[in-house]
Order: sequence, then C-alpha cells, then structure tokens
Amino acid sequence: MAAYLVRRVFQAILVVFISAVASYVLLSFAPGGPMAGLRQIQQSGRFKITEEDIARIRAYFELDLNLSVRFSRWLIGEPRGPLVIGGKEYFGDMVVGCRKPIEKEVLNARGQYEIQVTGCSEIVHLKDITERRTSRGILLGDFGLSWRLLRDRPVSDLIASRLTKTLQLIGLETLFSLIIGIPLGIYSAVKQYSKFDYFFTSLAFMGSAMPSFFFGLLMILVFCIIPKNAGFPYIPAGLSESVRNYTIPVIGQVVAGSVKDRTLHLILPVTVLTIINISGWSRFIRASMLDVLRQDYVRTARAKGLSQRVVIVKHALRNALIPFITIVVFTIPGLFAGAIITESIFAWPGMGRLYILALGDYDYPVAMAIFFILAVLTVIATLLRDILYTMVDPRIRLN
Amino acid sequence: MTLPAQLDRIKAEAITIEERSPFQVVMRRFVRHRLAMISLAVMAVIFTITILAPYIAPYKVDELNVGNYFVPFGTVDPDTGRTHYLGTDNIGRDYFSRLVYAGRISLTVAMLAVIISETIGIFVGAISGFYGGWVDAILMRFVEFMLTIPTLPLLLIISSMLIRNEDLIPIPESVLTFVGRIMLLGPRDTRNAVLIVIVLAGFGWLSAAQLMRGTVLSLREQTFVEAARSLGASNSWIILKHMIPNAMAPIIVDASLGLAGFVILEAALAFLGFGIQDPVPTWGNMLSATQQFMFDKPWLPLISGTPIFVCSLAFNYIGDGLRDALDPRLKL
Repeated sequence: MAAYLVRRVFQAILVVFISAVASYVLLSFAPGGPMAGLRQIQQSGRFKITEEDIARIRAYFELDLNLSVRFSRWLIGEPRGPLVIGGKEYFGDMVVGCRKPIEKEVLNARGQYEIQVTGCSEIVHLKDITERRTSRGILLGDFGLSWRLLRDRPVSDLIASRLTKTLQLIGLETLFSLIIGIPLGIYSAVKQYSKFDYFFTSLAFMGSAMPSFFFGLLMILVFCIIPKNAGFPYIPAGLSESVRNYTIPVIGQVVAGSVKDRTLHLILPVTVLTIINISGWSRFIRASMLDVLRQDYVRTARAKGLSQRVVIVKHALRNALIPFITIVVFTIPGLFAGAIITESIFAWPGMGRLYILALGDYDYPVAMAIFFILAVLTVIATLLRDILYTMVDPRIRLN
Repeated sequence: MTLPAQLDRIKAEAITIEERSPFQVVMRRFVRHRLAMISLAVMAVIFTITILAPYIAPYKVDELNVGNYFVPFGTVDPDTGRTHYLGTDNIGRDYFSRLVYAGRISLTVAMLAVIISETIGIFVGAISGFYGGWVDAILMRFVEFMLTIPTLPLLLIISSMLIRNEDLIPIPESVLTFVGRIMLLGPRDTRNAVLIVIVLAGFGWLSAAQLMRGTVLSLREQTFVEAARSLGASNSWIILKHMIPNAMAPIIVDASLGLAGFVILEAALAFLGFGIQDPVPTWGNMLSATQQFMFDKPWLPLISGTPIFVCSLAFNYIGDGLRDALDPRLKL
C-alpha cells in the first residue's frame, strides 16, 4: 500500500508539472498579450513610444527573459539573481534573456510580413534581475500579478473573490444532486420496467444529451424573460446579485444585495447544474442498484423475510453506493470545468467566467493560475478515487 | 424418395432456423430499437439538407439584406421574391440559410474529428494491446496522463492560442482545399475549422484507444489468432486482418457517441468564443450571437440551439441502438 501510494503521489506530481509546463508554453506562444497593443500604438504614430519604453515594458512583464527562466520564476520563484554561496556570487554572467531584440520584417512564404528576431542588442544577465520583483512561485501559492483584468493586483486576490462564488454553486449543486439523484435512481431501479422507470430513464437520457449552454439559455427564457415580459413572477438571471432594487410580481420588492436577492439569483444556475448532474449520477445509481438487486445475498435477505425497506436500504443500497462514491469524487473537479459554461451563460462572477475573461483578454497569469488550480484538483481527485476504490472494495488489489 | 425419408426432411426443416448472416442479425436488432430508427431518419434528413445546402438555402452565407433586420419568420423579400423562412439576424443575414450552411460546417467538423480520433485510437490501442510490455506501458501511461488533465480548460487554452496564431501548425494546402470544398469555405476560414478539428481529435482518441486495447487484449488469447500465427501470419497482418475487424463493435458505438460529443464540444467552444469565428456560421457561434438579443426576441436562441440538441440526442440514440444491436452485453 505504501509503495503504491508513493508511486501514485509521484505520478500525480509529474502530471501537474507536465500540464503546467505544457499550458505555460502554449500560452507564451499565443500572440496578443501586453505587447501587441503597444506595437499598434507605436505604428499609428499617435504617441511617441521609444525603443527604451518598449524595453522597459517588456521587462515589466518579464517578457525579456527566456521561456525556461520565466517559467521557473513563475513556478518556484527562482532564479532571483546569481547564486550566492559563502558570500561569493556564481552564474552572474549567465544569459537569461534579451532586453532589446533586433527585429526585422521579412516576407514569408505566404506573402505576408512577419517580424523575425534576428539578434539581440542588449543581453540580460542573471545578475541584472536581482532588483526585480518576483512572485514566490505558484507552488507556494503566489500566483503573480494580473496583467489586464485587475492590473497589478495579485492574481490570488482576484481568484479568492471569485472562488467563493463558484464554491457556492458547486456546493449547492452537489448537495441537491445527491439529495434528489440518489432516491430517484433507487426508486427507478426498484420499480424497473414500471412507467416511472421508463419516464425517468428517457428523461435522464435526454438530460445527458442536452448541451448545458442551450439548456441554460432555455431556462433563462422560460423562467426569466417570458414571464417577465408577460408580467408574471419571474426568477432573475445574470450576475450573482442585482445592481438596483427591483419588484417581482407576487414576491414584491427585492432589495439589491439582500439575502433574498442573492438566493433568487442562485436558483437558475444551480438548477441547470443540478439537473445535468442528476441525469448522470442517478443513471449510475440505477445501474448499480440493478446490479446489486440481482445478487444472491439480496435474494437471501428477501428469503429471510426481511421487509422490502430493510432489504433495499441495508443490503442493496450500501453495496450500490460503493462504486458511486468514486464517481462522485471524480466528478468534483469536472464540476469546476462544467461551471465554466454555466457561469458564462448566467454571467455568474465565479472562477469559470474569470477563466474565459482572462483567456479572452490576454491576462495569461490569471488563466494560468486557474488552469493550474484545476489541474491540481483533478489530479488529487483521481488519486482519491483510486485510493477510495481500494478502501471500499478490498477485492480490488493495488498494483 | 421414400415416405420416411421425406418425413425426416420435413421434420429437419421444421427445427432448423432460417440462416442469417451476422450483419442481418445486427440489422434486425437495430431496426427493433424504435428511437434509434427515428433518430436515423432525422439525421438522414439533416444530412440531406446540409449536403444540398447551396440548392436549398435561398440566400448565400454572408449575404446581407440591408435594412431588413430581425424580420419575422416567413417574410418575403419584395425585391427578389425569396423568403426568409426563419427571419434575419441583427445585420440582415438570413437565419435559415446560415443554419443550413452552419449544419454543414458543424457536422463536417464532428465527422472529421471522429474519423481522425477513432483512427488514432484504433491504432494506438491495437499496438498497445497486441505488443504489451514497455510499448503498452508507455502508451497507456500517456493516455492516463491525458485523461487526468481537465479537458475543457486545456481545450480552451489550446484553441484560444490557435485561433490567434493560425500559422502555428502548418496544414498542407491540399488538405485545406479538400476540407474547404466539403464545408464550402475559403482557405482562410477553413484553416480555422481544421484547427478546431485537430484540437477536438487530439483529445478524442483516448477513449477509443482504451476500448481497443481492452478488446485486443481479450482477442489475443483466442484460438483464431493462434491459428493465423501458426499459418505464418505476420504481426501486422494479424492486427489488420484479425484484431481490428473483430474489435469494431465497441469502436462503432464509441464513434456514434463521439459524434454527439464533438457536435456539443464544437458548439461549446464556439459559444464561449474560442471556436470557429463569426463570419463563418456554426450552430454554436450563432447561438452565442443570439444571447444579447434574447431579452427582446426570446425565440432567437431556439433557432440555432434546437439543431445542436436534436443532433446530440439523435447520435446518442443511434449509439444506444448500435450498442444493443452489436453486443447486448456491451456496456460503455
């Protein structure tokens, strides 16, 4: 067990590291970023931006450093300068980047002009970066500073304010899915081939085929826009609380930012997430219950004369829940990813929407931080699932 | 023929069932799945409409009917006599025509992604399962690694990078013209679509590879493989002629479910703004464009959202029917 755990933890760390490297490299290849707009301003000739200004701004965003150095500074906050051992500096002259690249416009094969870097007129050495501000590295929880969305504010501030909103959604979603989904699955399995079972399975099938973005828009239409236009009571959609007070027929005046207001805004996104989640989970519970109900020990329990209730709750359900637990654990990071779409539809100020905004707005430190958090969550969940699997079912051997 | 012999023959005929080929058996089972048959019919209609797009659509993809913004359903254009069956959008483009062309693009993207991902999956899975050992270990560790990365966020990163830097992955001109001809797009717009196909397929082959590996592992021990080997068949022959054809059942099911998945995923990427971009119509970006007008015109999201849902549901039912038909014990 110990050896297995060590190996799995090591694997997990490797996965996180590789996915961090991959996404960092990918995003550094993406054009745009803080420099693209600057170049356009420079070309338009409205402002005088000297080469020195550009070099300074490049240095500000660390874009003058080599990719590997930049990545290492982002991940662990090193190197901050030359290595100091016993009062002596080492590697001070190591080249870590280029402050002023020599750029040339060349005509490429497809007949378009491209900027090519042909050389470097001012090299950055390791000893030059001692004065710079450095994050402590994301491994220590310092995600650096935001580029665009909240310029120069720590990314962690931005994420912290959004995280609670996402956790609200996901927490409620999980809670309701469990409360509603498990009984539905059990009932459907116990009454297999009944009218309810047919109705439920086809509904769940449709639910799992339904794209969440379309479903979300439909819910907004049916519960917000149409009743609102018709003058009926409606459920507000968009944002997590409204900006000014409003009146809903029957319910009455709602003060902006009050508990009532916030609860009303939670209803639609949580419903969408819950319904989509239930269709998956309860189908799983149903299948797993059907499997267990066919077992000999259930027949034995029935033969002993136990009541239907005891047989189902004590003998069948407990065994059916074993595989379900692992499914639940594993879907939790998926819920964060799923929240990306739902949050975008409802303009819910959570992490998922922040991620989309950051990617669209070239705020790569924010995007990277969220991706890194999601990757870590997924890997931890995978690890937990595999460990839980073996703990709840001793028949599965570790190797 | 003597009487007892005749009697024997009649008896023998009575107890023998009519001979059917495996294909006939599968077809009979599939036809019995009513929803799958309905779905097949629906998809046939949708495919026919999209294939005949230039003849069915009254307007061109980006034809602007200037001044006629948000006209209601079935408005006839007085100048040309053509009908806006589903009205027009905010800059006067015909919804019905765009929907038809968008279907062509969205379905082509999904089909290409399925073909590529299943092909990669089949070969990776077959090689991994057949050779075992370190090949298997490396390939399957890689698949496991890919499966642990949160897909949607990474997909968003990759496509956001690719749509801003389209030349990053070189695509042969011939591929672009070929795909462009299917989608009725110019080379530049095609590049965008092909990149999305690559992104989708790059993540789609994992399940196919795992399925294929599992099947090949069990097939490897079968006697017909042993027989083929004793007849002197090479490894590649056994894989191509014995393993892959025999392992097709789960792959076909996976492919039809994959179609549903890719239609939704492509639409989701476009919806979030990181898929195929606006002048080129897809169901996803048409849906996302309607979002800002839905407060006044609540029917708009239904126009482009319905085909996404219908296709996804239909492909899912077809997959379900195929699974029941091909192998009743099979559970994905």
